[in-house]
Amino acid sequence: MSTLTSDRVVPLDGSVSPGKDRLGGKADGIVRMRRLGLRVPSAFTIPVTECRRYHESGGRLDEETWQAVLDGLRWLERETGRRLGDPSAPLLVSVRSGAPVSMPGMMDTVLNLGITDEVEQALAGLSGDPDFARDTHTRFCAQFGKVVLGADVEDPRPGADADSLRAEVAEDSGREVPREPLDQLREAINAVFASWRSRRAITYRKHWGISDEGGTAVTVQAMVFGNLGEASGTGVFFTRDPLTGAPDPYGEWLPGGQGEDVVSGTHAVQTLADLAAQLPDVHAELLEAGRVLERENGDVQDIEFTVERGQLFLLQTRSAKRSPSAAVRTAVDFAEANLVDRATALQRVTPEQVASVLQPRLAPGAAEATEVLAHGEPACPGVAAGVAVGDSEAAEAAAGEGRAVILVRPTTSPEDISGMIAARAVVTELGGSTSHAAVVTRALGRPCVVGVGTGVTAGWSGRTVTIDATKGIVYAGRLPTEAVRAEDDPALSRLLEWAREASPVQVVEEMPEGSVDLDAAGVGLDPSAPPEPQHVVGLLTGASCARGVVIATPAGAGAVLEAGVPAVAAAPGQHPLVLLLHLLHAGSQRRATSAGDGA
Amino acid sequence: MADLRLLALHGLAVKSAATPDAVADLLGQSPEDVQQALEAAVAEGHAIGAKGRFMVTPGGRAWLDESYPQAFAAHRDDPGFTTAADKFERINRDLLALLTDWQSIPAGGERVPNTHTDPDYDRAILDRLGDLHDRAAKVLQRFTAAEPRLEAYVGRLDAAYDRALAGEADYVSGVRVDSYHVAWHELHEDLLRMLGRTREE
Repeated sequence: MSTLTSDRVVPLDGSVSPGKDRLGGKADGIVRMRRLGLRVPSAFTIPVTECRRYHESGGRLDEETWQAVLDGLRWLERETGRRLGDPSAPLLVSVRSGAPVSMPGMMDTVLNLGITDEVEQALAGLSGDPDFARDTHTRFCAQFGKVVLGADVEDPRPGADADSLRAEVAEDSGREVPREPLDQLREAINAVFASWRSRRAITYRKHWGISDEGGTAVTVQAMVFGNLGEASGTGVFFTRDPLTGAPDPYGEWLPGGQGEDVVSGTHAVQTLADLAAQLPDVHAELLEAGRVLERENGDVQDIEFTVERGQLFLLQTRSAKRSPSAAVRTAVDFAEANLVDRATALQRVTPEQVASVLQPRLAPGAAEATEVLAHGEPACPGVAAGVAVGDSEAAEAAAGEGRAVILVRPTTSPEDISGMIAARAVVTELGGSTSHAAVVTRALGRPCVVGVGTGVTAGWSGRTVTIDATKGIVYAGRLPTEAVRAEDDPALSRLLEWAREASPVQVVEEMPEGSVDLDAAGVGLDPSAPPEPQHVVGLLTGASCARGVVIATPAGAGAVLEAGVPAVAAAPGQHPLVLLLHLLHAGSQRRATSAGDGA
Repeated sequence: MADLRLLALHGLAVKSAATPDAVADLLGQSPEDVQQALEAAVAEGHAIGAKGRFMVTPGGRAWLDESYPQAFAAHRDDPGFTTAADKFERINRDLLALLTDWQSIPAGGERVPNTHTDPDYDRAILDRLGDLHDRAAKVLQRFTAAEPRLEAYVGRLDAAYDRALAGEADYVSGVRVDSYHVAWHELHEDLLRMLGRTREE
């Protein structure tokens, strides 16, 4: 229980009530985890009210607040059995911002405050790893320099020492990285509060109608290390497989890994099965924590954790990123397990994800015994076949005649964009998955393989090729593809069934009397010139049914709802589920907007 | 600054099949002057026009390549300008990595498309884009001091970042609007052509 007397600092020990408005998002998350009985590293927060006081005092941390922070720190030292700056049992802390609504422009995170030359030595002894101790120190100097002092310094190279980083920071910013742990802490807190009024944060708040009167909290949390002592390590745990959506725990385990402040490549990554073999109790506790957090948050969780001397600490949990097919499967599984309702499940899957799952794929075995023309890096997934064309103007002309073309270029420049739009897929000789070509094709959703090698595409012009951009392979000739049918996939067919029940607009096969065909009317065919929504509403008013490519856009689906059209018919290439999701999402958007207007 | 006869064709080469208005926006010049210059280029065989849009001919490309070294000699010989261009390349690599993170997210050892349904993830990337935008501003100042017409790109990048910050996700890497990447990509091409450098990717 808290023993602090001042309300200027809040210990996050589960005795306090959650509340984003006062504690900020990060501290609120910690409190919620503590109240679920989960172990997170000890922390206290300086609430949002102190940010207001800071700015009311002209950008100065109030002395009484600082005294409260020192009380909070003593509480943290008692909780952890360590002390800031004490080489015999050193405590290191992180400092983070935490506004009720997170926003760009806020100072984000500084890790490892409290490190000094003496603490570095102590860490070297405790971990048996002097390189780790030195890296921790140099990375602290670089991060403090960048984040708090605004220095433009590169990430330290392995082997650099802290003094050289301090000198670099001082030269660039004219300010010193403090050597005293308490000075480090005080400056970092000041920097978080000051960032509330950064230019970017002010602009963002103006755009989003967020009051400048609010403020951010500051959370100070003990660092835990997965490389101090036996039975330690760090990892990440997905409560379901993020690629397939199967209800199998999935993750990585790095025995002896440091935790939050990981340097890559120093430890061999193992699986959660290895963790189960090495530390069965920790593994069981982790899985149980995953079940608790899934129930609490109603979604697949991605959990960062560290084990320090056999004790599991959860560092962070959030909704897991997942592949399109995992998104479909987990949404259905969560609704069937009554962890969310069907409306939520339908909102959780985007029309683009369904379209991606339904994309044709190479027929099984089709690629065997086929000549591989090139291997490259996949930049945007998908499968496509067509005639290879070496320049963008020709690609545009051929596509204009209705031919399927694959644009093949050494590299792409802005003048290739119209050719990339016209092509079914794109191949480049140079560049990696972060080239301009990769960025453009992902924006367009065109399958793309990059970096097949200089000169490799010579002589391709005019040949028919098949691109498997999911694997990064170019095949000679046209390989058979097969369509994915929603009926063959249990999760897709459930989702389709629920979407039909939930949608106020029916998707029909045939256009009845009184239908409006927006394609025939030439509306919305050019995606670069979207039609005025009110114009579309006008065309659709009174219609018994609507059809058109534009309906599979947020604006088009919104117009169907606004005009009160009872049914839509699928245009060629439009799947009923994709249309239904567009309509359902547009419906919830309209409800959110009207609720916002009413408030 | 190079004359409009060259600049208009240069702008057209950066933009590809484009209207005179689009080329004028790119160059920060008046549409009437650009229209005139492009019509003159058609008469010289350096461009062709159809349906209100123009395109550079192979002859026009050859003429541009011949004319660049002299037209932009001042920039090519200015170490301040070329050093700034080197810095631009470094920022370019960071931008492309950032845009990749915006479009696709690591999940289970692979990358999956960003569905823009996690506001925290997107806001963190917009924050990184803001840092990069500030870094780029210093380099762009160096360019515009020597070549004032490049101010037009600065305005487009500012506007795209502002709209992205205001929640218009398409203004980060979209292709069909004047997104941050569209303006940046054209600026990159413009610089490469002026300096006679080749694209690394």
